[in-house]
Amino acid sequence: MRKESLRFFDVTHIYHTVRAETTAAEHLSFSVNEGEFVAIIGPSGCGKTTLLSLAAGLLEPSGGEVMRCGSCGYMLQKDELFPWRTIEKNIVIPLEIKRQNTPEHRERAKALAVKYGLGDFLQSYPSQLSGGMRQRAALIRTLATDPDILLLDEPFSALDYQTRLNVTEDVSKIIRSEGKTALLITHDISEAISLADRVLVLSERPAHVAYTHTLDFGELTNPLKRREAPGFSGWFELLWKELNG
Amino acid sequence: MKNELVKKYSEEHLRFLKRRKNHLLFVWSLRIGILVLLFGIWELTTALGWVDAFIVSSPSRIFGTIASLYEDGSLFYHVGVTLWETLAGFAIAVGLGVFIALALWWSNTLREVLEPYIVVINALPKIALGPMIIIWFGTGSEAILCMTVLVGIIIAILHMLSAFIATDKNKILLLRSMGASKAQILIKLVIPSSLPSFISMLKVAVGMAWIGSIMGEYIVSRAGLGYLIVYGGQVFRLDLVMSATLILCVLAAGMYFLVVLLEKILVKSAEH
Repeated sequence: MRKESLRFFDVTHIYHTVRAETTAAEHLSFSVNEGEFVAIIGPSGCGKTTLLSLAAGLLEPSGGEVMRCGSCGYMLQKDELFPWRTIEKNIVIPLEIKRQNTPEHRERAKALAVKYGLGDFLQSYPSQLSGGMRQRAALIRTLATDPDILLLDEPFSALDYQTRLNVTEDVSKIIRSEGKTALLITHDISEAISLADRVLVLSERPAHVAYTHTLDFGELTNPLKRREAPGFSGWFELLWKELNG
Repeated sequence: MKNELVKKYSEEHLRFLKRRKNHLLFVWSLRIGILVLLFGIWELTTALGWVDAFIVSSPSRIFGTIASLYEDGSLFYHVGVTLWETLAGFAIAVGLGVFIALALWWSNTLREVLEPYIVVINALPKIALGPMIIIWFGTGSEAILCMTVLVGIIIAILHMLSAFIATDKNKILLLRSMGASKAQILIKLVIPSSLPSFISMLKVAVGMAWIGSIMGEYIVSRAGLGYLIVYGGQVFRLDLVMSATLILCVLAAGMYFLVVLLEKILVKSAEH
């Protein structure tokens, strides 16, 4: 049995506003194994982002327990690159924050950028890059501190369709080849199927895991190839029904 | 070589550049033309005695007044006094304003507690505090400095605070997910992303500083351009009033352009 990287154990989370309290999650339990790519899909407004904030340790659960082995890297919908910094200076932000801004760490981050096709853009500013390249830079920034778990909050939803397919492919390749554990949150069923080893379907609020599926694509990890695979539409229909049923 | 350079652009583009240049030339000649025309009519109508130069003064009398102020050494004295009050007041208002805005950004509780006070002080016409300032700070430059700071600081605080608060929430979330402390968020994100607002605040604050210093000199002063204007009005010397006003125009415009220059330098260094 593989080691667990992240574990939610009977997690409950309540949001408080002056007018009301909202239970965002209740009896939420699941785990992500080391090296595994897990996608979570759920109806809109079911508290997906809350779940990632809990996983990243930005929120403390009201009840239950969140266990994390190792550090987290968070990737958001938009690239959130700082426009006043070059790409090179952007990807070392996490090193600066964690006070690991040593020459070796910087070189490692730069080497990653070069390896994944950003070498020519290191001295460019984000505004000079296309949306796809920017999101790739955001991923390199996330990987700069060599986190153990990647938390992806709909990282492709702000891109146009063409770019989205390309970036999904890029990101999948990078995450697989770096052997990272990843937890992806998305409302896009086909994205979840094309990327993940396992898909969790959340219920309506208060969120808990309604269904879990281990996808049977075997060694096929390329997102575009998966979209063409014979099993794809079957999974899509099943998940669609579960999500809307 | 030269031919090659010219060849890089198409005929159409060269025509476009020429049109653009001609247009700029036209705009500038009109700008200067209006000024020359206004002063010309002013000078002519007073010289011919159509309007009374005692009431409206005239360009030649203004330059004469400025020249005599220069000769008796009081020109640079009065300009210096006003300039010092304005610049010092501007610097204190901006510096203290940014510092207070940072403190209010840092502590939500402090912000909530002080909010009504700031709103009231902002709404209050500062000139109402004139008598108090005279009694507390006397009739010298300190009183005027105090007025200048009062007029400028609230705007500086409110402007910067709203810029700090408007910092992209997702970028803050991103830094927090990296484990950033509040100080790191402030230094790495909030301050650099507020730079454009800082510059626009400077532009507003320059205007406020002039309002503050001249208003202060109106209320209480023994020197400065505001003093010359008030004094000139009291003794019915319109030449003096107009001269001081003209100098004020030049100084205020100069200071504004310095801020614009600073903006260009900052934007350039931020980008490259």
